[in-house]
Amino acid sequence: MADPRDEPSGADQGVVTTQPTTEATPPPVVPERGAPPPPTGVLGLLVREQSIIVPLVAVVAALLIGALLIRAQGVNPTYAYQTLFTYSFLTADGLQGTFEKMVPLILCGLAVVIPLRVGLFNIGAQGQLMAGAIAAAATAHAVREAPGVIIAVVAMVAGILFGAMWGSIAGALKATRGVHEVISTIMLNSIAAGLIDYLVNGPFKDPSSPYPASYSAPDASRFVPLGVVPIGLPIALVLAVLVAWMLRRTTLGFQFETIGRNRHAASYAGIKLSGMIVLAMAIAGGLAGLAGSVEYLEIDPYRYQDGIAGSLGFDGITIALLARSNPLGTIPAALLVGALRAGSSNLSFNTGLQPEIVDMLLAITLLLVSLPIIAKLIFRRHTAKSSALASSWGS
Amino acid sequence: MEWLKRNQVAAGSIVVLLVGAYVFYAINDNVATSMFKGAWFFAVPLVLGALTGVVGERSGVVNIGIEGQMLVAAFAAFFSAAASGSLVVGILVGMLSGIVMGAFLSLTTVKGLMDQIIAGVVINIVATGLTSFFYRPGKVLSSNMPQWDIPLLSQIPLIGDVFFQTGPIALFALISVPVVHFALFRTRWGLRTRSIGEYPSAADTAGIDVIRMRLVNVTIGGIFAGAAGAFLSMEATAGFERGMTAGRGFLALAILIFGGWRPLRVFAAALFFGFTNALASQLQGVISIPQQFITLLPYLLTLIVLAVAAGRVRAPGAVGQPFVKGEGS
Amino acid sequence: MRSHVKLSAVVAAGLVAALAGCGGSTGPSTGSGGGGTNSAASGDCSSAEVFCVGLVTDVGKVDDKGFNQAAWEGVEQVKGELGAQTKFVETTDPKDYAKNIKQFTDAKYDVIVTVGFLMGDATRAAGKQYPNTKFIGFDQFQADPVVPNVTGLIFHEDQAGYAAGYLAGLMTKSNKIGVVLGQEIPPTQAYAAGYENGAKAANPSVTVSKVYHPASNTAFNDPVWGAGEAKKMLAQGADFIFGAGGNTGNGALQEAAKTAGAGDKIFCIGVDLDQWDTLPAAHPCLITSAEKHEKDGIGELLKAIKGNTIKPGNFFGTAGISPFHDFDSKVPADVKTKVADIVKKLADGSQATGYKAG
Repeated sequence: MADPRDEPSGADQGVVTTQPTTEATPPPVVPERGAPPPPTGVLGLLVREQSIIVPLVAVVAALLIGALLIRAQGVNPTYAYQTLFTYSFLTADGLQGTFEKMVPLILCGLAVVIPLRVGLFNIGAQGQLMAGAIAAAATAHAVREAPGVIIAVVAMVAGILFGAMWGSIAGALKATRGVHEVISTIMLNSIAAGLIDYLVNGPFKDPSSPYPASYSAPDASRFVPLGVVPIGLPIALVLAVLVAWMLRRTTLGFQFETIGRNRHAASYAGIKLSGMIVLAMAIAGGLAGLAGSVEYLEIDPYRYQDGIAGSLGFDGITIALLARSNPLGTIPAALLVGALRAGSSNLSFNTGLQPEIVDMLLAITLLLVSLPIIAKLIFRRHTAKSSALASSWGS
Repeated sequence: MEWLKRNQVAAGSIVVLLVGAYVFYAINDNVATSMFKGAWFFAVPLVLGALTGVVGERSGVVNIGIEGQMLVAAFAAFFSAAASGSLVVGILVGMLSGIVMGAFLSLTTVKGLMDQIIAGVVINIVATGLTSFFYRPGKVLSSNMPQWDIPLLSQIPLIGDVFFQTGPIALFALISVPVVHFALFRTRWGLRTRSIGEYPSAADTAGIDVIRMRLVNVTIGGIFAGAAGAFLSMEATAGFERGMTAGRGFLALAILIFGGWRPLRVFAAALFFGFTNALASQLQGVISIPQQFITLLPYLLTLIVLAVAAGRVRAPGAVGQPFVKGEGS
Repeated sequence: MRSHVKLSAVVAAGLVAALAGCGGSTGPSTGSGGGGTNSAASGDCSSAEVFCVGLVTDVGKVDDKGFNQAAWEGVEQVKGELGAQTKFVETTDPKDYAKNIKQFTDAKYDVIVTVGFLMGDATRAAGKQYPNTKFIGFDQFQADPVVPNVTGLIFHEDQAGYAAGYLAGLMTKSNKIGVVLGQEIPPTQAYAAGYENGAKAANPSVTVSKVYHPASNTAFNDPVWGAGEAKKMLAQGADFIFGAGGNTGNGALQEAAKTAGAGDKIFCIGVDLDQWDTLPAAHPCLITSAEKHEKDGIGELLKAIKGNTIKPGNFFGTAGISPFHDFDSKVPADVKTKVADIVKKLADGSQATGYKAG
């Protein structure tokens, strides 16, 4: 039980949002049975919905802090934000860009979320995405004579399967040999990069391209956006909902959660650990692989060439963490990151700010979303307790 | 002797590896020396980065921000050395910035109860952003990092060449490994550190101030990642470039786990990885298969070694868990 | 509770003040200009009198000591002469190529320079979509059918490599030379092949060790790896190190510069542009650079566009080696003559490099 001495002190201190790290933070709030009666009415609603309110407040606070940074660069922050968000949300080009960036972010975010639920940390979405993309490129070329829809479906299925295979290697190594997934996924990223570099220089190279690149996706199979909505977006959104449903409502999801909470208990309860670990990594790899195939079918130049993966695998980690490993949370997280990224070059064009400014904004947001400080500030003793994502690092 | 009995496999492999290395040396001393030198050169930042991880994770705090710690330190070390004209200032500032980043990690996670993985990711993103944002081209160091020949030791064939004709930061890495190992397994500090990483509530009951100790350890542990950064921008090269860590922080993380959170094994794992790297580049153009296959040798071999021999390692029991006084964990 | 709310309110108010406080001082049009060194002039690019040149970098920045920097310097070099208004956008995500180009077409720029072969497809697509805008694609080979308003600025890396290798072959004492490269892509392959063939042409007994960086996002930005490889080659007796791979190669040059005997027995060769100007840390050993005259090429093309004499298709810029700078006295006169002769023969096509693209 809580040490009563710990309870009040920190909450009285003024908490300065600009310097969350240096401030003495309030002590952890321990669920004290009966201490504060659960609030009712509007306050009650706010407390119950704090998982939504806290991130919103954090984003606003991050933008305010970012304003200081922008100001320091000699640019009017109001103008900068106006430029950034007007472009990202209110212009056709910008909105489409935001949506296009959301698609792989959501999928890679999910590819990190699912293993996290089982207690695995997937740093390998990068390699899984690349594996999926190259598989999509190869199969799309192989069936290039087929109708466009067929090509696209085949490419996506191939991407999912190949990504799943790549992911399950790490899963299998973990399940059978106990190889820590952090090492194996890091190594597998480099191995994927090397193998694919060989493929696009050799067997899969488009001879008409003077540079290493796969064949481009047949015209008929390319995703044409519906207005400003790229086809990948509904796919990603549906999958986010599906994953949420799977985790919350199915036996599989329940087994995942059980393993994530306590591996030994799960084992006693008759859950086959090794199978579940491989499965979780395979699903994750499949999602990342799908992201790769969608990028191939949806984004100019419609071929596998260097840079198709960008830093998406690592962005997936950021998304998963911003979403606090909630599958539905990946959607707003990807919207934020997508909008920031999509608007960055326009921002740079119009204000002269370095495009890295959006990464700074992102880092501050992630920091503020994750520091329990904001929740404490608003909700004080009613703050919900969150469990550690890193809890199963060592197992 | 007792150690030998307990660690027959380890002792055996050391002997085999040493003999192998010297046989190689006898066949071609020049190539052997240069490859082992290359291996150690590659391993230095990995060893240092992993030591930061060892100290942090043994205390119960996961650190995936090593990459960011190294990057910030590389930046701070180089630019302060260039501005002050003093290499010593550069190294010290590099180490200090590693400590500052360590303090950030410990304050947010131990005090602020922020999720440890998130804190690491924040460090990585902030480091990339900050160093890129404030980078200025055209600065140079006033002088090169000195190369020291350690008396006597540098005369030993092979080992002397590889480890004791050295720059100061590589030497620091070499010394740090046994020192941290000894401290961790043979001192009171080490016992306490391991206990707060394994079973903090028991440590707490025994009167150890878990929070305070984690704060101090994670903060001070940053010194190694700081040194790694200074190594990259001042000793290995003579300049800072954006993103110059090039994933070494993550490799250090892998090496940390590969080495089972034990400094001596971490050292061995890093050398193994460094050597496979040296081997891969040595074989390029010699063996007539595409270089892409040769260059992924280190990653493949690491996976194979882990899968076959050294896969199961046990992490500190409470790593990743925030400690809240009075709450069982 | 009360004090609490008050404090946060004060903090928030402070931040809002910071935000609003500069509202009047800096208006929309007066940023520092893209990237700080962009011109702040803001003529209307849609008017015929204003000649606007925009540049889109490959992933990287205009101070990268490599091709992005050279391209931007090329633009800036002729800016005064052409009375041009210039601006750059730095790409951070390879998927933004098309969007970054569109920033300039939307603002009605007259010329858009795109850097790097990865942008080739995007540049050609933009060329078709905006027939009234001229495009210069650096490192982008234009295959048939060419787009009428797109000109690829191409260099024979193998020729620059050949000249550098020829020099190294003539001057090496150990008969061992090395080259440290970025990822294996056509430009690095061309440099490597030219270097090797040039060295062997000058000195049949020379052995060339070459090493490519493993494929990764950081293949051209890993100076520490480059330094390690150079260290190994030097230890194995190489006395010339050619660093051809962005910052990765620069690491190799810096390592050679630190080695005992640098400038007397150990030499290094830079790449892409005259690295004497961009990499002072390599001065102790930097005898020359295998140079693509990218600045001149871009300047020439911009002048051609202004003078309406631009042709679509491929424009081959010249490649060769940079001045010897401080090493002028250390290169024997007969070596200079022979190398100059080779450079001339390479340029007029009478000397082949033995490199076949593809």
